[in-house]
This record gives sequence, structure tokens and C-alpha cells, in this order.
Amino acid sequence: MGETALEAHGIAKAFGEIRAVEALDLVVPPGVVLGFLGPNGAGKTTAIRMLTTVLQPDAGTFTVAGVHHTRPIELRQRVGVLPESAGYPERQTGEEFLLYHARLFGHTRGSARETARSLLAETGLTDRASSAIGGYSRGMRQRLGIARALVNEPAVVFLDEPTLGLDPSGQRQMLGLVREIAEARGATVVLSTHLLAEVEEICGRVVILNRGRIVADGTVAEIVRRAAAPRQGRFSVPPEQAPHALEALRAQGLEATTNARPGELDLALRAENSDDIVRAALRALLDAGIPVIGLELEGGRLSDAFLAMTERT
Amino acid sequence: MTAVALSPPRRPGLIVARQEVRDHWLGGRALGLLFAFSLLLGAMTYLTATNSLLNFLEQRESVNLTLQVAVAVGALLVLLTTADAFSGERERGTLESLLLAPARRVDLVVGKGLAALTIWPAAFLVSIPYIWFLARGVGIVGVALAGGFLVGSLLALFLAGLGLFISSLSGSNRVSLSVSLFLLLALFAPTQLPSGAQQGWAGDLFIRIDPFSSGLHYLGKIVVDGHGAGQDASWLVSPVVAAVAAVLLGLGASRFVTLRGGGPS
Repeated sequence: MGETALEAHGIAKAFGEIRAVEALDLVVPPGVVLGFLGPNGAGKTTAIRMLTTVLQPDAGTFTVAGVHHTRPIELRQRVGVLPESAGYPERQTGEEFLLYHARLFGHTRGSARETARSLLAETGLTDRASSAIGGYSRGMRQRLGIARALVNEPAVVFLDEPTLGLDPSGQRQMLGLVREIAEARGATVVLSTHLLAEVEEICGRVVILNRGRIVADGTVAEIVRRAAAPRQGRFSVPPEQAPHALEALRAQGLEATTNARPGELDLALRAENSDDIVRAALRALLDAGIPVIGLELEGGRLSDAFLAMTERT
Repeated sequence: MTAVALSPPRRPGLIVARQEVRDHWLGGRALGLLFAFSLLLGAMTYLTATNSLLNFLEQRESVNLTLQVAVAVGALLVLLTTADAFSGERERGTLESLLLAPARRVDLVVGKGLAALTIWPAAFLVSIPYIWFLARGVGIVGVALAGGFLVGSLLALFLAGLGLFISSLSGSNRVSLSVSLFLLLALFAPTQLPSGAQQGWAGDLFIRIDPFSSGLHYLGKIVVDGHGAGQDASWLVSPVVAAVAAVLLGLGASRFVTLRGGGPS
């Protein structure tokens, strides 16, 4: 355990009768943005709290940034965390809040001030640095929380639902910030979120947790392939040509049906040769002189794999 | 940003204490409590002074009465502050951020305890003019103030430890404050017993084992009866023992300074 950013073996946690996390095994190399996914109550927050030493595991062992969990103070010095639904002292200003936490992480007064100002700038809060946090919007609070998580130049950053409660623009801003943390700082990021489209975009690796267990671990493509989610192609053609298009597809032995929307045809796909089927369908339509206005592939996305994996277990 | 090689702070307890002091005093909460405290003492002084003028109350008695209120309520302010220490952080969702700092939990307890204790000397400072006004002319100002500060400090330590312990265990401020105040009322109860019940070995023991009754009884001895400071020192045993025990209890409570469950707390 030394060359990895995060390595956990068999960590488990129960709250009374409820087993929140069961025998979690995880190895994450440095510099990766790891999507940590799972439905509500899957054990993500408990796992993050254990990995950041806020909660003590009932069993198992782990290292984060090369520091063993039996050295919690040293470990916390190397990680940055944005907790889920973190609260903030309403009367403190953003700058005071960061100064305090920078001091708690060992900054001198001078370097704490410099760090606070730099992080406020990085998170776009310079203008509100002297305002009380009580007046901050949800998005500003989340950005302040990220700034707090970075006061110690962490090697591993845990972000637990950073986009929770944000509007779409706030979500984009937040995910941009996550990308920056990974790229500019070279930190390993563990990102717990429900925004699966964004996970596909920024996460090099994904872990799906369900009922306290890891049910999938790999790249987005690997997980999607493994989930073998049912797929379907939806072609849009001019409505008056839909019956002709249906005939053309069926003539090629393809399983096509019309759907309720005029001009839309559904095509059944199989995971093992879906690309061939789509290609054959396109050729059949074009050969028949039918313009294809749109083609949408349903299934085959992380969200489908996520649903397939978390609903069946 | 300048990359700096950081190591955990050497005295995290002091950093926490400094911030807490700022929050208490600049945040206005401590000032509000002190304002209410000074109003209470003002009313108390007026009543005892007028009673004294009408010869219903001997001057030493009136000093003692006001001093006892100053000491008891001043120490109570510490309890009110520590009762919010961790249950308040839990309730506001700020505890997790604090627990993520590279500090031992006992350092967090020490920091919060030290900050809460700053309220006691401030409260005592507020009470000095009232005591001076009532005690002028009978030569007990010094004794009353020294005795009051000593007993009050012991009781403040006792209540700080107790408040931190309760707050570490409580999930919400409401629970923490209710339990703390209930305990305080229970501790005050012996001081309100009729004098008949305070007689004999059982009454004596009852008062001696209760740190509040014992401490306030000691004040009565040195202020009203004019005894020397060391003559009735045995009455201070209970406050001293209670202060030490409660401080240890408060420090031991650091193991309970944790989050509840896996969801947001």
C-alpha cells in the first residue's frame, strides 16, 4: 500500500442492525477522477466518512495518500473533503472561515491569509470574501466548501454530492471546478454525485455502490458493456414516409416498430452486435431513399447501467 | 497559490479557542448574556440595598446575597455556552468540517472549553461595581471579591466540564440545554432547603456534597460570619473535587465527539 492514492481492504460499517457498508475493497491510482455512485442509502457517505477518518470502520484497513488509517491526524492532513450537506457558520465571512481552517491545517497567519485569498479567487468568491456566509447562495456555499477542502493542498479530494441542490448552471460551474482540481492540481478526486451524464464526461473511473457493496468498478465503457443493458435505436423520418421506412427495415430482417409519435420508428438492438444493426438499418433507409432526420440510441449509457445494476440487486 | 509543506498545527486547541472566543464575543452572544446578567445584578443590588436601608437585611447579608447570585449565574453562563459546544455544531451541520481538521478530538474539546470559560471572568468583572457598592464601609470588598472569584472559578470549571460532556452526547441543542438546566436546578435545590433541613449531620453532609451549596455556604462563612479564608476551607472540597471530576469528564467526552449515522448529521 504505497503507490496508490487510495487503497481499502474489507472496510465495513454497521449502525445497529443496518449494515451501511460491507467489505469494501478499492484501489485507486493517483490522479484519477473516480465517480463514486450509488442510489440514496447505498453507503457512499458512510464510506467517504470512513475513508476520511470521521467514522471508524468496524472492520478492514485502508490507506489514503499513502497514510494508514491508524494515523488519522496525518491522514486528514493529506485529504480535502466537501461533506454532504455541509453547514457553515452563518456569521463568519468567507475569508474568516477559510482563514480558520487554514490555521487548523497548520498554516501560519501569513500563509493562511494568502491561501484563503487565492482559494476565494479560484472559486470565484473574491467579491463576497468579506460578506457573512449567512448571505451566501447555495452555490456559493458549495464553492466555499470546495475552497475549504483545498486549504491543505490535498493529495486526495473527496466531494460528497457537491452539486446537491444547485441549479443546472451551478452544477456546470461546480463540475468545471472539479475538473480544474483534477487537472491543475493533479489531485485524485473521489466524486459522489447523481449527475451521471457529467460523470461520463469527467470521471476516468467509476465505482457503483449498492446496499453497501460495490456492484461495478471500471471505466464508464467497461461498466456499460458489463451491465448489458437492453438497448434500442429510435429513428426519426418524415411522418408520411414512416410506413415505407418500416417496410424497408423489416425487409432486412430488422425488428422495427412504429411508436406513438408520428415519424418515429423503434429498432430493437442486441448488446453484442448493436453497431452492425444500426449500420444495416441506416443503409436500408438510405437505399430506400428515406431521409433520416434523427437517430437516438437508448440504453448504453451510464444511467442505464446504473439502473440495471442497482435495481437488480 | 504558493505550495507549502504543511504539518499539523502544534496547538490546535488554541486555534479553536481563539476562533470560538471571536465567535462568542464578536458574534454578540456573550455580550447579550452579559447584558442580561448585568440587568439581573442591577435589580438584585437595588432590592438588597433598599432592604438594607430599611434594616430588613444586614449589610453583610446583602453583599452575600448579591455575591451568591453573581457567582451562581456567572457560572451558569459558562454552562449555557458549553452546552451548545458540540450539539450546536451537530445541529448546524458544521461538526464534520471540524472533525476533518488534523487535530485530536480532545484538542477540540479543550479549545471550546477554554473559550466558554472566558465568559466567567467577564461576568465577574461586571459584578464588581455592584459588590463594591453594597460592601463599601464594612471592609469586606476584598474578601467578598476574592472569595467570589475563587468559588465562581471552581463552579465555572465544574459546569464547563459538565456542559461539554452533555453537549458531546446530545444530538441537538434543545436536548443539551434541557439536560444541563435540569441538572443545574437539581444542584441548586439544596441551597433552597429550609434551614431546619440543613441542620444536623445529614443536612451538613447534603450541603457539603453538593458543589453549589457547599461553595455558596463557604462564601456565607467568609462574608457574613467574617471567618478567615482558610478557616472554612473544608467547604471548598466539594467544588474542587467537582471541578476536577467534571474537567476530566469533559475531556473524556471527546470520544463521543462524533457524527451520528451515515447520512448528514
